[in-house]
Amino acid sequence: MTPFSALLIFVALILFVLAQLFLKHAMEDDLRSARFKKNFAVGLSTMTVSFFITLGLLQHFELSYLYPFQGLSVVIISLLAAAILREKLTPRLFFGAALISAGVVLVSLS
Amino acid sequence: MIQKAKELLLNPWFQLVLSVLFVTTSEVFLKRGAVEAPRLPEEVNWTGVSGLASPDVWYGILFVIASFISWLYVLRFIPLTIAFPLSNFVHVLVPLASWFFLNEHISVQRWCGIALVLLGVLIVAKPVARMEEKL
Repeated sequence: MTPFSALLIFVALILFVLAQLFLKHAMEDDLRSARFKKNFAVGLSTMTVSFFITLGLLQHFELSYLYPFQGLSVVIISLLAAAILREKLTPRLFFGAALISAGVVLVSLS
Repeated sequence: MIQKAKELLLNPWFQLVLSVLFVTTSEVFLKRGAVEAPRLPEEVNWTGVSGLASPDVWYGILFVIASFISWLYVLRFIPLTIAFPLSNFVHVLVPLASWFFLNEHISVQRWCGIALVLLGVLIVAKPVARMEEKL
């Protein structure tokens, strides 16, 4: 793995996480408001960019190599939803998210 | 009867289940379609566009869109810290569906990973189920 591909994997992951946060933020708004449109547009475009970067990465790496990084998204999204969207993250919820991440990594390593 | 169906459709937890089922269905269709797609010359083969020739790929795309709409509805009502971990139930369903419908092999290590995801989903879901009962 070159530093450039490592950067791409990182960017794809961050964009995917950001997309979920923006879409969540948008959907809680009044669906006719300008703020909804802005957040929804940002969410949808970050998701699209993340999708195409991932597609490009898939041409160079095995799916099972890229999958563990996606598994990490569960833990990262939980932490950021708590930090940025002020959602309640109990130790139990975090423990559940960590188990799921570990499970996804294990599934893809085999 | 219609009232009952409407209530069910408007229930975000039901939509979360639908979203997960739609993703699983789409993956099976996409895989089936991708395999039966015609092989294009080497230079353009990596894009996967040849898959569009298969009806299965289009069914897959319809299910992807359906799952995204359900997911947006879920986001409106359920916190991300709960909805996103639960949506990872697809990592249990997709391998099972590949095993059942596509006759793919699942290794022991993979079964362990699936069990771990299932355990995590149950841990997240249990307090939620209790919370809903009280309402």
